[in-house]
Amino acid sequence: MDDLLTEFVAETREMLAALASEVVAWEADPDDRVRLDTIFRFVHTVKGNCGFFDFPRLEALSHAAEDALADVRAGRRTADRALVNAVLAVLDRIGVMIGEIERGEPQSDGDDERLISALAGELDEGELPIPSTAHAAATPAEQRTIRLPVELIDQVMSGVSEMVLARNDLDRRILAMGGDTGLEAPFARLSALIAEVRDAITRTRMRRIEGLFSTFPRLVRDLSAELGKQVFVELENGEVELDREMIELVRDPLVHIIRNAVDHGIEAPADRRAAGKREAGMLTVSARQTGNTIHIGIMDDGRGIDCERLAAKAIAAGLRSEAEIAALNRQELIALVFEPGLTTAETVTAISGRGVGMDVVRANIEKFGGQLEIESTPGEGSRFLISVPLTLSILPSLTVAVAGQTFAIPRSYVEEIVSTSGSEVEFAQVGERRYMTFRDRRLPCVSLGQSLGIERSDAARSLFVMLRLGWGDLYALAVDEIFDHDELVIKPLSPAIMQSGLFVGSTQLDDGTPVLVLDVAAIGYGAGIPRELHRPAIAANAAAPVEREGLRVVLLRALDGEQRAVAMKAVEQVERVSATAVRHPGPEAQVVLGEDILPLAGIPEGTELPEWLTVLRLSDGEERIAYAAREVLDIVVLPATLSRIQGQAGIAGVTLVDGEVAELVDCHALFARHARPASARTLTCKLADDDGWMHNFLGPIIEAAGYQIVGGDAQADIAFVDAASADGSPGDARKEICLSDQPSGGGPGHAIYRYDRAALMAALLRVGEELAA
Amino acid sequence: MSEMMLVVEIAGRRAGVPALVVNSVIELDSVTPVPRAAPHIAGLGALRSRPLTVIDCRTALGAPPCENAAARRAVVVEHGGHLYGLLVDAADDIVVTLADPEPIGSDPGAGWSRVASSKIETETGPLLLLDLAALIAGPDCSLAA
Repeated sequence: MDDLLTEFVAETREMLAALASEVVAWEADPDDRVRLDTIFRFVHTVKGNCGFFDFPRLEALSHAAEDALADVRAGRRTADRALVNAVLAVLDRIGVMIGEIERGEPQSDGDDERLISALAGELDEGELPIPSTAHAAATPAEQRTIRLPVELIDQVMSGVSEMVLARNDLDRRILAMGGDTGLEAPFARLSALIAEVRDAITRTRMRRIEGLFSTFPRLVRDLSAELGKQVFVELENGEVELDREMIELVRDPLVHIIRNAVDHGIEAPADRRAAGKREAGMLTVSARQTGNTIHIGIMDDGRGIDCERLAAKAIAAGLRSEAEIAALNRQELIALVFEPGLTTAETVTAISGRGVGMDVVRANIEKFGGQLEIESTPGEGSRFLISVPLTLSILPSLTVAVAGQTFAIPRSYVEEIVSTSGSEVEFAQVGERRYMTFRDRRLPCVSLGQSLGIERSDAARSLFVMLRLGWGDLYALAVDEIFDHDELVIKPLSPAIMQSGLFVGSTQLDDGTPVLVLDVAAIGYGAGIPRELHRPAIAANAAAPVEREGLRVVLLRALDGEQRAVAMKAVEQVERVSATAVRHPGPEAQVVLGEDILPLAGIPEGTELPEWLTVLRLSDGEERIAYAAREVLDIVVLPATLSRIQGQAGIAGVTLVDGEVAELVDCHALFARHARPASARTLTCKLADDDGWMHNFLGPIIEAAGYQIVGGDAQADIAFVDAASADGSPGDARKEICLSDQPSGGGPGHAIYRYDRAALMAALLRVGEELAA
Repeated sequence: MSEMMLVVEIAGRRAGVPALVVNSVIELDSVTPVPRAAPHIAGLGALRSRPLTVIDCRTALGAPPCENAAARRAVVVEHGGHLYGLLVDAADDIVVTLADPEPIGSDPGAGWSRVASSKIETETGPLLLLDLAALIAGPDCSLAA
């Protein structure tokens, strides 16, 4: 948003500066139509932008000016001196306000009423605010940005590319001269300068797609609220950079597709439940870069495109005959959504289905050289893939070699590099297809050499690049060698070479050698890897209704200095306690918190306790445990997926929070280790009310064993009675344990000698089991 | 109507390329082969920082490849926004045309009739005028790229 605001300020300032002379000329000749139009356009633009940014005062002012000028343009009013003055005053005030916005100051509460009524012609000339140039002078136009034609930047960029090559050539020559040429230092300086200029010029055109993506959660939230649906948005790879012109071009198509997905794709909560999905729909928007193409994927887990209905509509609309429809496969049926005037929506809603169909969306994307593809699985969802070209792009790439030739792979696809010379990878052969099992996933292997036809034998390779395609499909590409990560300048290829469909562009290594950039999606799908929706199947969704929107956690600094996270839901209370409240520091530590003594976790053996520590009271709903920390840092939402690590007890996973590793505390293990057994917890014991021995001697050991003592008339599971006073009935307790003050044999048959602790515990256990049964 | 023509030699025959469309004539030092490309695509080269699609004119004509592998003289032309390097046996003469292009008349031979649609009279005799689009499209495609 900050970017947009900066741009708004810059743009408005720029227009104001350009208007300055126009205004003066208009003042001299109020009938000048061209000048009037220029000023009108300015206030109109400002008004539009204000609505977007929520500057009500600025909006009201520009709106009033726009109205007045519109009247003049329509001939309903003449531009008299009063109006000109009022308009000038408005322009000045806009300048002042823009200054305030730019400096981040709150908007001053100026009185715009007089100005607005002056614009409306309701004030006499005498009352007019006097336009003055004082304001304009007081807020010097800080021209911090300039606008340049893109061609100029392209020209500079290509010049810099040439400079890099010339530098490399020079480098080689200096090396060839050998020894001390005296050129090294100036050459190094030149190299550094060129690199700097190259970086700067590259950045001029690029902008993170994040800025565009960040508006989607709000859009989806509003839409789904309006439609009574629940939709989570997941944004992926927002750091992919895209030409800023292109960002503007993809905005509308993206918004349209997202609207469609929320409106038509994702079902109402009740329908989703009936279909065995979780109630909240999932919308994933992701971006990936391949060569000079950016792929933006929009995926929903909704009902998918109803091909039958689409076909029926196409027949009804006379677009296709029944025979023609019958001959189409599913993919071709889906392509029917691109037919003008066809939609599967039952009703035209306010959100979508207003006559602007997918045909228009696709046409708009294709207009700037892009592509739109749709895939859809009934009941599971749809995915839309927008591919747009990037006229100028620096591509982070991985260079690999096969059969002696070097190729580049766009890094955004590269998931991981795996060398199978270790033993952790298993292969399986299914027909001609090789699969490798890696981290519990079975991935199809594709030989790059064979795909390119530059190698016949299927040599057993041990080097693989794991590639994740735009849809989340994963495969392993076998290569001979992996060289390096490089930032490469991608140039388009001629149609003669693009024909094969295996490459997306070319680039040059530092020595000027041309290198082809692989289209890993085409190679993968060309080699027949399966296309799968990467979300779990519906059945799995029903079985594991995991909330994927991420876990809200309390972030803390543990006593050992690590950053840890504890699930927010488990945290009952956070307290500061003195180290004196901690007993037996170490794995068996306990802490006194108010009236409770709780097991205290988070103190590794041999930890030096600080004088004061923070203790989180964790609860699983019944049992409570304390967790020691140095301090609580923050409350954050962790990503939905965490990296699992093995072997570290008590840690459920790790993730990065603000660049620092945070370990998610495994609450399950924590309670499993510290909590008392659940079976004993539920049992309550009742002691004879008037028996001092029972309360003073027996009570503590029963409680220590995990039973709860209840008194008075409360219902108890087990009642302890004195054999001497027993009346033979268990009273209101479900079971009775009879105690005798006579050693074994001395009392009644079923009574237990009251100092026979072992027999006492055994009796408690036995009774507990009987109760449980 | 006089125009400058670059005279190139392909498989022992001379042909003309309008000098105006010629970007430069270079000696290619490295050409990266392009897998799964048409046979007449010799590979990918570079003119400074711009990629160069290298066309082997002999193969495009259906003639046997040049035996002298060291001959890497390429005429760089721009076509459809892309740079192409046309590998030729020789390109060292520029002549002035004396008239407008005219139909070839008699058949110049299989390969040539496809890559040259007209001939032009020059101060050193008639020259076949190379049709760049047809040359780039290669023998397998009848349509120009």
